[in-house]
Amino acid sequence: MVTLSIMGVECRYASVKILENVTFQAEAGELIGVLGPNGAGKTTLLKTISGVLKPNGGVVYVDGRELNRMGVKEVARNIAVVPQDPQTTFNFTAMEIVLMGRNPHMSRLQLESPKDVQLALSSMRLAGVEHLADRMMDEISGGERRLIMIARALAQEPRILLLDEPTLHLDIANQIKVMELLRELCGKRGLLVIAVLHDFNLAARYCDKLLLLSGGRIQATGTPEEALTRENLSHVFGVQVYVKRHEMTNSIYIVPVSASGGKERLRKSLRVHVICGGGTGASLLKALSDQGYETSAGVLNVLDTDYEAAQQVGAEVAVEAPFSPITSAAHRRNIELIKRADIIIVTEFMIGKGNLKNLEAAIEGAKMRKPVVLIGSLGLKQDFTGGIGEKMLRTLKRRGALQAHSGDEALNIVSSLALKK
Amino acid sequence: MPRRAVENWKRKFIILTFILILAMLISLNLGYAQIPVTKILGIMAERVAPFLNLRYSDASETEKSIVMDLRLPRILGGALIGLGLSTAGVVFQGVFRNPMADPYVIGVSSGAALGAALAIVLNIGFTVFGVNTLSVMAFLFSLTAVFIVFNLARTGPKVPVTTLLLSGLAVSIMFSAFISFLQLISGWELHRLVYWMMGGLSGIQWADLKSATPLIIGGVVGVYLYSRDLNIMTLSEEEAQHLGVNVERSKKILLALGSLITAASVSISGLIGFVGLIIPHLTRIMVGPDHRALTPASIMTGAIFLVSCDSLARFILAPIELPVGLVTSLTGAPFFLYLLRKRGKGYRM
Repeated sequence: MVTLSIMGVECRYASVKILENVTFQAEAGELIGVLGPNGAGKTTLLKTISGVLKPNGGVVYVDGRELNRMGVKEVARNIAVVPQDPQTTFNFTAMEIVLMGRNPHMSRLQLESPKDVQLALSSMRLAGVEHLADRMMDEISGGERRLIMIARALAQEPRILLLDEPTLHLDIANQIKVMELLRELCGKRGLLVIAVLHDFNLAARYCDKLLLLSGGRIQATGTPEEALTRENLSHVFGVQVYVKRHEMTNSIYIVPVSASGGKERLRKSLRVHVICGGGTGASLLKALSDQGYETSAGVLNVLDTDYEAAQQVGAEVAVEAPFSPITSAAHRRNIELIKRADIIIVTEFMIGKGNLKNLEAAIEGAKMRKPVVLIGSLGLKQDFTGGIGEKMLRTLKRRGALQAHSGDEALNIVSSLALKK
Repeated sequence: MPRRAVENWKRKFIILTFILILAMLISLNLGYAQIPVTKILGIMAERVAPFLNLRYSDASETEKSIVMDLRLPRILGGALIGLGLSTAGVVFQGVFRNPMADPYVIGVSSGAALGAALAIVLNIGFTVFGVNTLSVMAFLFSLTAVFIVFNLARTGPKVPVTTLLLSGLAVSIMFSAFISFLQLISGWELHRLVYWMMGGLSGIQWADLKSATPLIIGGVVGVYLYSRDLNIMTLSEEEAQHLGVNVERSKKILLALGSLITAASVSISGLIGFVGLIIPHLTRIMVGPDHRALTPASIMTGAIFLVSCDSLARFILAPIELPVGLVTSLTGAPFFLYLLRKRGKGYRM
């Protein structure tokens, strides 16, 4: 059970501090992701852990022993590194490259034994590149070359595996392949794997622990749920994101907000109430929020994706329990929100007996002389109430509801209405 | 189990050895005095095993002297220098990760030339262990030049490879300036230096071989022992360290061995060019880049090449002898270009 201990590591280049007071522990079986913006010091950190760079301050301990006191071969027997960009001046075959991984275990005058060759082959098999053994390295694609480098690292029989952006330039299939291989190495073979990653979602899905690095300092550590919060990501990367949990993978995933959603948004004084449901309102709510409008929505049931979107943008919502028709309490709340809003938008949600009250609310809004925007064609496809819903939509039109054919058009109408105010 | 070049090199090596022996016999046969091959073999057999009291040849004393004192040393010298320079070429191309590197790249040639120039101009005339002054001066000055180049490029315990190359260039230019100055102030011995710098095997004696052989063979054996390190170092220095190679130490040892071999060769033969640059590429085409096969193959190929070039040098304009360096360049270049084109999809170093 190998343990890695980084204590107060500091690295300087001239007078510039690349790493400052970096401390963390890791042990066998863990897959650790290192995330951070460009120039954060991630590669420097990897170099310090691999022993290539000696820190100006602090110590790296492997199983309690100082890394920098260990001989080159001993380090190589314990720690293997998968480089980001392998250089090849001379043309070796893939097999020859992987066999070089056996060097730490061989003495000077030895030739590779059959056992070494078998180990190299099984490493290649594990990485899925056994069929490339006799090919020249320069005939092999970048992604496969990366896998061969992983095979070489595995041939070293290390206890710690370090990877610098292993999924860079790989197609999606190979990216998944690599991450699943790393997971397997940790789980089944008890390796400690530390990988610098640039893809939040891969990191969140596969890593046990994450390290957020910025400006040479550790800004956050913990499980993906603990480390990847809106606040942390805003602080470390300077982006606004939505953090969601995916039902199928049960891991969180990050969605960056569009470019217009910066830290300082122009707060417009207009309040827009969106009557929606079944996912028809999510993108609209987001767009309105990005443009700085205050938003509210209703009536939505708590399992609706539109409800989740409303939560993300901080809109006030009139909620209802799932699978139940709209109760009068929820309806009253909806009317309240409509009263406070300046503009009402009705999306093309499926109309059933249970949510007819939403259209009633819209009509109330029209009666209050609030501008109502109707998205979509006149409800012929949406209506599952045998015509009642369609009638209500026509009522809305009669009362002066504006017709928009898309969400974008609706937004345009809103902004022109805003100008008038 | 996939085939690897390194397991097949022994067969190629044996073939190459036979070719070398053939080349040497042909070379022994060439010359102003017509001595048939059987007589040559007889003369050598007699010298090698006198106790056997064989009387294969009825060679005259002159003939014996020609073979044993004139031809044999130069041919053995040719083989020795050929194998030395090609090994040095393999080392430098591997350490610098640069297919354009040759044994002279960190100052050996300019140092040796300066040493030779000084010896000629100052007309010093004593011998050290039977070796003439010129050789000793060339040897000492070439190692001094490397020493200067090395220390100029060093930053702490590390010797970065690009800095070494630049440093070598700078020192070579400086030394060339000194040599030009010497040539300027001493017009009369000029042609001797020029001829020496072109490289030739004619002056090689048994004493030269006795002093150069242990250095060259020792160096070559040392290089072979570091073959696997060389393989790994051609990737990149950082990767090599990750794979357990002590990069700085291996680099220093390999460069020292390469310089020693080159200095020893150059001191007895002058500056023979092209061998160190091209032979490694030729052998890489034959056996691949694994230094465990490349080094032995280069040794044999280099020896064959130089011995053959020397034969050509003596044969083409007989009885006038061309400098060997001229022949190596004139024959090597076109032959290599031909090989390059024949390999089709481009020779990846």
